[in-house]
Amino acid sequence: MNDTIVAISTPLGKGAISIVRMSGDKALEIALSVFSCKSQPQPRYMTLGGLDLGGVKEKCLMVYFKTPNSFTGEDMVEFQIHGGVTVARLAEQRLIDAGARLAEPGEFSRRAFENGKISLDEAEAIVEEINSENEGQLKAALSSSGGKLLEKIKSLQNTLTELLAEIEVSMDYPEEDEFELVRDKVFEKISEVSSQLGTLLSNAEEARYIRSGVNVALVGRANVGKSSLLNALLGENKAIVTATEGTTRDVVEGSADFKGVRFNFFDTAGIRESSDNIEKIGIEKSKKALQDCDLVLFILDGSEEISENDKKIFDLIKKPYITVVNKSDKKRVLPAQTNEISVSALSEENITLLKQKIFDSVIKNEVDFNGLVLTNERQISHLNEAKKLIDDVFNAKGESLEIISMLIKKVWNELGKITGETENEDIISVIFSKFCVGK
Amino acid sequence: MKEIYEAIVIGAGHAGCEAALALARKGHKTLLLTISLDAVAFLACNPSIGGTAKGQLVSEIDALGGQMGITADKTTIQLRMLNRGRGPAVQSLRAQADKVEYHTEMKKTIETTENLYLKQAEVKSIELDGEKKLVSTAVGDIFEAQVIVIATGVYLDSRIIIGEYSENVGPNGFKNAKFLSQSLVNLGYKLLRFKTGTPARVNKRSVDFCQLEEQAGEEDIQTFSFMTASKPKNKALCYLTYTNTKTHQIINDNLDKAPAISGEITGVGPRYCPSIETKIIRFADKDRHQLFLEPEAMSTNEIYIQGFSTSMPSDIQKVMIHSVKGLENAEIMRDAYAIEYDCIDPLQLKPSLESKLHDGIFFAGQINGTSGYEEAAAQGLMAGINGALKLESRPPLVLSRSDAYIGVLIDDIVTKGTLEPYRMMTSRAEYRLSLRQDNADLRLTEIGRDVGLVDERRYKRFLSKKKKLAAAEKVLQQKLKLTEKLVTFFEKNGENPPKNSISVKEAVKRSNLDVFKINKEYEIFKGFSYEVLNEINLITKFEGYLKQQEEDISKMKKIEKQLIPENFPYEKQKGLKIETIQKLAEVKPLNIGQASRISGVSPADIAVLSVLVKRFKEGENAKV
Repeated sequence: MNDTIVAISTPLGKGAISIVRMSGDKALEIALSVFSCKSQPQPRYMTLGGLDLGGVKEKCLMVYFKTPNSFTGEDMVEFQIHGGVTVARLAEQRLIDAGARLAEPGEFSRRAFENGKISLDEAEAIVEEINSENEGQLKAALSSSGGKLLEKIKSLQNTLTELLAEIEVSMDYPEEDEFELVRDKVFEKISEVSSQLGTLLSNAEEARYIRSGVNVALVGRANVGKSSLLNALLGENKAIVTATEGTTRDVVEGSADFKGVRFNFFDTAGIRESSDNIEKIGIEKSKKALQDCDLVLFILDGSEEISENDKKIFDLIKKPYITVVNKSDKKRVLPAQTNEISVSALSEENITLLKQKIFDSVIKNEVDFNGLVLTNERQISHLNEAKKLIDDVFNAKGESLEIISMLIKKVWNELGKITGETENEDIISVIFSKFCVGK
Repeated sequence: MKEIYEAIVIGAGHAGCEAALALARKGHKTLLLTISLDAVAFLACNPSIGGTAKGQLVSEIDALGGQMGITADKTTIQLRMLNRGRGPAVQSLRAQADKVEYHTEMKKTIETTENLYLKQAEVKSIELDGEKKLVSTAVGDIFEAQVIVIATGVYLDSRIIIGEYSENVGPNGFKNAKFLSQSLVNLGYKLLRFKTGTPARVNKRSVDFCQLEEQAGEEDIQTFSFMTASKPKNKALCYLTYTNTKTHQIINDNLDKAPAISGEITGVGPRYCPSIETKIIRFADKDRHQLFLEPEAMSTNEIYIQGFSTSMPSDIQKVMIHSVKGLENAEIMRDAYAIEYDCIDPLQLKPSLESKLHDGIFFAGQINGTSGYEEAAAQGLMAGINGALKLESRPPLVLSRSDAYIGVLIDDIVTKGTLEPYRMMTSRAEYRLSLRQDNADLRLTEIGRDVGLVDERRYKRFLSKKKKLAAAEKVLQQKLKLTEKLVTFFEKNGENPPKNSISVKEAVKRSNLDVFKINKEYEIFKGFSYEVLNEINLITKFEGYLKQQEEDISKMKKIEKQLIPENFPYEKQKGLKIETIQKLAEVKPLNIGQASRISGVSPADIAVLSVLVKRFKEGENAKV
C-alpha cells in the first residue's frame, strides 16, 4: 500500500493552464470527494467538472490513469485548471485536506522508477531531481521569512521535547518520587502549544492569500506616466491579467511574474481632489488600495519640479515604497531624490532594474507580510497536520500516560519534518540533562 | 595439542552464559571460558533484575528460549510491578534477586547442559587460521572453533578506583583480562574506554531501619518466565532513605579527592547513573537524593545502597554514609568504586552481532558499550543464536524494532553507535505500545521455535494459550441483552447504559469497564487464566491505538524490505554528500530502513539512496 501524494506539476504562475496531480492507491477516491462531474471518469479520458475550492467551484478537466498504465505505475489523477499561482495552490491544499500528502522532492519520478516505469539509465537524472528540489525547499525554509517561521516552529518543538522528557522520565524512572507528573500541567502545556500552532496557521493562511501575489500600488499625480509605466512593467505578461475571485481588488490592472514571485499592480489614477461623485468612489478605492498594498511605487515626473500634489500624495503613503522618477528620456528638472530610481517608461530604460528592485524589497523582507511571504506550502501542510494531531491529544485526555505520550510524540515528529529534528536521542538527552536519574 | 569445539564463548557473565547455553542447546559443542568460576553470572552491581524496559527484555529472552527469566524467577526474593498506574506498555517487573543464588543456579544450569563445557582460563589471544579461530590461554592451552562469541563485560584492561587508590583488577576485585584488548586491536578492532561504578555495601545489623520507609513486594503477580509455575515468595524488604544537605556539604568539601572530577578517571561514564558527586555538581539545586537499601542475598547481611555510587576515598565514603538517616552507624563491608574498562565501538558490528571485520567473531554484552545485566543477556542470546545459525549455514536472526526491545537495543547500537554505556529505556522504543511485557511470548515464541530454542513443553503451552485467546475473543462477540441488570451494572460503574443490547467488546471499551468487571457480573469468561483475560482486555481497550501503531510499523517494514546488498559500493555513488557516504559506508545498513535511522542522514539522502540501490541491484542482476 502506498499513500497518495499530490503536487503542482507545472511551473508556478506560468502558462495558461496549471496541472495538479496525484498518485497512489486513493488518488481517484480523493479526487472524487472534491470533484463533481456528470459521468463516471473513464481511464485516460478527459472529464469536465467542478473542483470544489472551498466555496468556489473551479471549472476544470480531470484525467484518471488506472494502475499500472500511468507515469508512476500507480493510480493517478491529473487536474488541468486555470493558470495562476492561487488556483493551483488552492487545489493542492484542497486535495491535501481530502487525504493526500504533499509529495517529497522527486517523489513522482522515484515511484515511477521503483515501479519500473523509468529505465535504470535515468537513475542519475532522478537523483539530480531529488537533490535540486530538496535544495530549493531548504532554501525557501531558510529564507529570511521562512527562517522566522522555522524559528517559531523550532521553539514549539522544543517545548514539546521538554514536555516529552518530563513524561518519559516519570515512566522510565517510576521509583524516583520527584518525577511524579502532574497531568493537568501536561495539558496546560499542550493547549499552549496548540494555541501557538493556531496562530502560526492563521498567519500562514494570510500568507497564502498574499502568495497569490505581492500587491504593488502605483501612485503619482496625473500625467507622471503611470499607465505607460504599468504597461512597461507588465510587458508581455499583460495577457495573464486576473481578477481574484471573492476580493474587492477591482482596481487591479495586471499581474506579472518576476523570478517566480507574482506581482499584482494597482493603478491609483483617481488620487486628486474631486467633486465628481463617481470619481470620489474611485478615490476611496485608490486610498484603500494604498492601504492594502504591500509596496508602493511613488512616481514622479523627472522633467518637472515637485508640486504640492506630489507632496500630498507622498503623505498618503504608509507602506514601504520605492521612489520612481519617470521620463529619463527627457531633460531632468527634478532635483535628485533619496534612493530614487530613474526610469523611462517610454524607452523602457531601467525597467528591468526597477523590477529587480521591487523583487529585492520583497526578498529582503523590507515588505513585511507577517514574516511569512516565501514560506513554502510544505511547512504549512505539516503545521496543519500537527494541528490535527494535537487535537487527538486533547481527545485522549482520559487515557493512560503512555498513550498521551505516544500522541504527543506524533505531534513532535510532525514538527520535526519541518525542523529536520527527528532524533529520539534529543528527548533522551533532555531527560539526562534536566533530571537527576541514577542507580 | 589443541582441543576442537564448534564454538567458544569468552566470558561467563550474563551475555556469555546466554550465548553458550543457546549454542549448546542447539546442539553445538561449546566451550565457555571464564576468568573465574566464582564470577559466573555474577550480579556485580545492584542485586536486582528487571525494572522499566529491562523487565521487557527479560521476558523476551524467555520467550525466545533464553535462561535469564527462569533463573531470575527461581532466585527472586522480592517482586514488584512498576508503573501500574501509567499504562500496560510501560509496566515492568522488577525483582530483587538473591545474588548468591543467582550465580549458583546459573552455574549449575551451565554445568549440567549437554554439549557445554565450562572452564576457568584467561584468554591471551585470538588468532585467525582461515575459517578457524584459535584461542590461546595464558597458561598455554589452545582451543579451536569456527565461531567465537566475545562477552568479556567490564574485564578488559579494567581498573577500579577508590579515591587515590587504583588497581588493575575487574569488578569486585576479580582478576581482570590483561591480554585480550591488545589481541583485539591486533585483529583490527577499534576500542573505546568507558567507565561505570557501584555503591558501597553495608552490614544489615548496623542499619537503623526503624527510621526508614519500608518497601515490600507484591504477592501473586506475573513472573519473568512464561514457564514459571510456582510464583516466587517475597522474602525480603527494601528500605528508602535520602541524602541530605550535610551529605552534600561533605561531598562538596572533598570534591578535589573525587577522581572522576579531578580528571584521574578518563573513561566516558553514563549520564543516567552518575556517581553521587556528579549528581551533586550537576543538580546543585536539589537538597536531597533518594537512596534505596536493597538486600544482596538471603545468605548474607550485605546491603546495597542504590543511588550512592561514588569513587571517593574510603574515609570520605564512610563520613558520607554516616550522614544519611538510618545509616549513622553503618558498618561498611565493601567500598564503593568506579571502574574503567575497554569496549568496542559497536558500529563495527552487523545487526546479527557478528563483526564486520571477521566472519564468525561475534560480540555481546558490555563489551559492546552497553550497560545492565538484561541488555547483556539479550545480546548474548542473540549472538549465541546467530553463532549457531552460522554453524548451521542458516541466515542470521535479526529482530526488528517492532518485534522486540531486543531489536531496538541492537539496532540502536549498531546503527547509531554509543558514546556512553547504553541503557535500555522504554522511551527508546517507538512501538512501545506493542512491545509489552505481557505479550512477549505472543511476539517471540514462534521465532524462538523456528530458531530451535523453544522446546516442546514451552511450545505446547504457547499453543494452548493462543487457543484460549481465540476462545476469549469469541466471547467478546457475544451480546449483552438490554435488561435491568445491564442498566444497573452500567450505572453503578458510572457509564451511560446502552440503548440496545451491546456486544461484550463494546462494553469492554467503555472507559470505566473492563473484562474483569464484566466477568464478575456476568461470568461469561469461564476457564480462562488471568494472563489470557488480561491480554484480551488490553488489546480490546487499546484496539484503536494499536491499529495506529500497526500502520506505522507496516510503513517502516516496507522500507526495511528494500535490502542493500553487502557489496553496494557507497564510494562510487554520485548524488550523495561525502559525509553521508562515509556514514553509510561505516554502518553498512542492511536495508533502507536501517539507513534512515543513521544520525545525520536526511530523508532526501534516503530517497537518493533507494534509487541508487535499485539501480545497482538491477544492474547486478543483469550481469548474471
